[in-house]
Amino acid sequence: MAINDTTDIDDTTDVGDGSADGDDAGEIESRVGIRYTLKQVRHDTTARIGIYIVGFMTFVAAFAAVDYYLLDYAIAEAVWYNPETDPDRVERLLPPVGMENQFGQGVLEHPLGTDHRGRDLLGRVVYGTRVAMTVGFMATTIGLTGGTLIGAVSGYYGGWIDDVLQRATETVYAIPFLVLVIAFMTAFGRDLRFAMIGVGITAIPVFNRLIRSRVVSIREEDYIEAARAAGVKDRNIILRHVIPNSFAPVLVQATLQVGVSILIVAGLSFLGFGAQPPTPSWGQMLSVSRGYMLPAPTFSVFPGIAILITVIGFNILGDGLQDALDPRINN
Amino acid sequence: MSEPLLSVENLKTQFFTEDGTVRAVDGISFDVHEGEIVGLVGESGAGKSVATSSLLRLVESPGEIVGGEITFKGRTLFGLEEDANGELRPRDDMLSEEEMRREIRGREIAIIFQDPMESLNPVFTVGGQLREFIELNRDLSEKEAKREAIDMLREVGIPAPETRYDEYPHQFSGGMRQRVLIAMALACQPDLIIADEPTTALDVTVEGQILEMVKELQTKYDTSFIWVTHDMSVVAEICDRVNVMYLGEIIEHATVDDLFYDTKHPYTRALLDSMPRPDETVHELNPIEGVMPEAIDPPAGCRFHSRCPDAREVCREVHPEPRDLADEGEPTHRAACVKYDAFDVGYDESRPIEGDAAGGFGAGLTRTGGEE
Amino acid sequence: MSLLRYTLWRLAQAIPVLIGIVTITFFLANQIPGDPVEIMLGATPAQEQVEAIRARYGLDRPIHVRYLTYLSGVATGDLGLSIYYDRPVLEMILLRLPVTLLLMLSAFAFAIVTAIPLGVISAKRRNEPADHVSRIVSLIGVSTPSFWIGLVLIIVFAFHLGWFPARGLILPWADPADVRGAATRLEVIRQSAHHLFLPMISLGTLQMAQITRIERSSMVDSLQGEYVTLARAYGVPESTIVRKHAFQVAQLPVITIIGLGLSTALGGAVLTETVFEIQGMGRLIITAINNQDYELIMGTTLVFGFVYVIGVIITDVTYSYLDPRVTYGDD
Repeated sequence: MAINDTTDIDDTTDVGDGSADGDDAGEIESRVGIRYTLKQVRHDTTARIGIYIVGFMTFVAAFAAVDYYLLDYAIAEAVWYNPETDPDRVERLLPPVGMENQFGQGVLEHPLGTDHRGRDLLGRVVYGTRVAMTVGFMATTIGLTGGTLIGAVSGYYGGWIDDVLQRATETVYAIPFLVLVIAFMTAFGRDLRFAMIGVGITAIPVFNRLIRSRVVSIREEDYIEAARAAGVKDRNIILRHVIPNSFAPVLVQATLQVGVSILIVAGLSFLGFGAQPPTPSWGQMLSVSRGYMLPAPTFSVFPGIAILITVIGFNILGDGLQDALDPRINN
Repeated sequence: MSEPLLSVENLKTQFFTEDGTVRAVDGISFDVHEGEIVGLVGESGAGKSVATSSLLRLVESPGEIVGGEITFKGRTLFGLEEDANGELRPRDDMLSEEEMRREIRGREIAIIFQDPMESLNPVFTVGGQLREFIELNRDLSEKEAKREAIDMLREVGIPAPETRYDEYPHQFSGGMRQRVLIAMALACQPDLIIADEPTTALDVTVEGQILEMVKELQTKYDTSFIWVTHDMSVVAEICDRVNVMYLGEIIEHATVDDLFYDTKHPYTRALLDSMPRPDETVHELNPIEGVMPEAIDPPAGCRFHSRCPDAREVCREVHPEPRDLADEGEPTHRAACVKYDAFDVGYDESRPIEGDAAGGFGAGLTRTGGEE
Repeated sequence: MSLLRYTLWRLAQAIPVLIGIVTITFFLANQIPGDPVEIMLGATPAQEQVEAIRARYGLDRPIHVRYLTYLSGVATGDLGLSIYYDRPVLEMILLRLPVTLLLMLSAFAFAIVTAIPLGVISAKRRNEPADHVSRIVSLIGVSTPSFWIGLVLIIVFAFHLGWFPARGLILPWADPADVRGAATRLEVIRQSAHHLFLPMISLGTLQMAQITRIERSSMVDSLQGEYVTLARAYGVPESTIVRKHAFQVAQLPVITIIGLGLSTALGGAVLTETVFEIQGMGRLIITAINNQDYELIMGTTLVFGFVYVIGVIITDVTYSYLDPRVTYGDD
């Protein structure tokens, strides 16, 4: 039915006109695509909720990072509690305000209660955002960079280079990724840096596949041929035309991948790989909380909710972007 | 003349979209008699496909048939009446959805779609799909239906039908798949087959073969056809009578000879001029100027005035209904164009539309009336 | 090519991937810092004792010799000796593997059985309340860490309501004599199901959500297919269209997603086994890592990879069985 297709047609017309303009078509198209996408996303209520959640979490994480790296928790101590050091007056495992458990009554000073060392749970959950978001973004960036590089080279050159690179990524992907990251971290180190790298590596095949298939289809386009004939270097063709052209679907995948990475890192921390105490991290908090599920069940609840909300934010945003891009992806 | 097999009266189908109401089919009337092939011609977007799916009441949301009457062999496929409050509601004699499904679709009216690549289910065998529809619409046992399916595959010219029965659609070429779809329609032994651009997706030689075959089988089974197309040469080849659609309306109706040799409507003229004809030496093909406006916001007056070479000021104001312009004793020839005296709205006194209005807003863009 | 030959062909194709997995695992394990022999014998062992142990486990030979020895060992089904337990690795794995497979299979069974109707209803009633509910449930499902679901399930259904046990797993084919309070086979099976329920949901939820999402979008596409319109035009009842005509085509992407989900689920099994203290492959690899038990780390990682590769082959073969368009071995 032609009626529902109106937007698609307009959209493709833009792309067609853009490519016909010649050399710079790559950038033109991608700019049109991105701006168009963002406009669509703004009009979508659910996607907007995603933007709010992701924006809020990013803000909290940035705030926590500044306080942690530059001020040594000065802000936290001034307005609330230091999320890392044990308090002088220990009230362990208090329930949230308004509730009661065998350790006592919930108090307003600790709205979500306290952890096993008497530290304020709200503070630790808030400061745990830093670890989750950093790892989510860094791992995605690593996966994105590695995957784009491998995918672009593989798709652009084809032949044996393609074969070797693709078989290699396939093999890496053939080990279930949590197991792979655990093995990787056992070999190189259990701390957060290697969690990022490890999770980043597991994300490489996703982006590799995406970029490679785009590159293979774009490679044959007229304007790329023209650029090649005009003597533009391969590297420049890839950087200036091929990669910008793939930006939109990669953006969707990257958004979803941040969420996935946060989940994997939470799992790693739960198993004791990743952020080490006393650094507040959601997965590690859940790991500790396991020991107190019977007497202080609420301890296990809040870090999980924090993970849930953050990941939902990225998933909604990714879905929203995907919907906005749909005509393009279907083409 | 005998009672028509199918008669469509003032049919209106609209799509209620976010951007507004699309009047895809806007009050068309036509009929189909037993054993004839009636053409429905127009550019893409004219509303031909919506019209045909309306006949089977298969219009999908947000589309809806909002008015008119469809009668088939004396039964009301669609009909509205006003209730006490002046609200429209389905008439009592209108067939229910269940009756449409059981008694009309496939059994009485079958359809052949445009795209033979997409119309067959990729995960079932060709024979299985054929057999299922035959079983359903002819109350045959599985075994009989299978035999019937194989016979029909042979009939439409598929070699080795026993083996091909068990093959999947992807193992058939486009032309072969279209033959399968034609076999499917014929095998259900309906009285009317709607062919919705069945040869558009095929190349010209295959198209020719299929048209030949359909003509033969049509004579043999005496089935009526509604043949939907944008291609005037197909019309010339196969149709007895033709309806030309423009923007949801039928603007000309005539026998195929009258349409070609006594063309009335400027739009039909333009369609004919845009195609090569074996019977006339033309030095140059004239593509129709401009693009068809959107059915969401049709121009006032005659809907074709923005692209019409004969347009005058009056065409902007008067919206003509088709009138019979045939001489006494001749077959009906209806057209909706005010330049004919029968309309008498002062066309001759009216000034021609200024400037390149005739070229419309799409001047410079040319369409040949073909599908994209 | 027949289905059987296609299966054999896919198995043959997997061999280089498996060799790749062995290689990655071997070199990762060799990166592990610390000396396993020291861990085993304490801080100050006698020199000859150390050398004897090294010779026994082949640690005195150069790395490439050890690699080739290991590779040929794997080929003959010999995964070496666990340094820590002094038992053949394969024997230990074979004890644990059924537990993990049972967990995995039940999780996928749960996921598929719930997700397919949910997705189909969602697609059929698009943008109606049922669809909104199903979409929200699946969004939460893909955004929640599986181990946290496990913790919450334990708190609510084991500790609070007391409906299910909080830890452990009993194999349905275990000897009744070894199972407390079970005199008959039936009783063993009942207890097994009882133990399996919470871990199954914990591990299966993510897959369920993932499959629901794909099932929905795939069914939506399929229901808009021209072949569905054709079936309607030939008077096929709507229920048959949903169950047969639209359904079968729509399952193809679902099978692909199940294959990809295996990797996540195998990683998830490590977490679920930790949460529910189930002695499966996941716990084995964590124990092996904590003991710096080289051979056992390699063996478990390897088997995780093998299980995944086999799982992917099974889904591929299923796919090619259901989609007649797949041309076997064209690749």
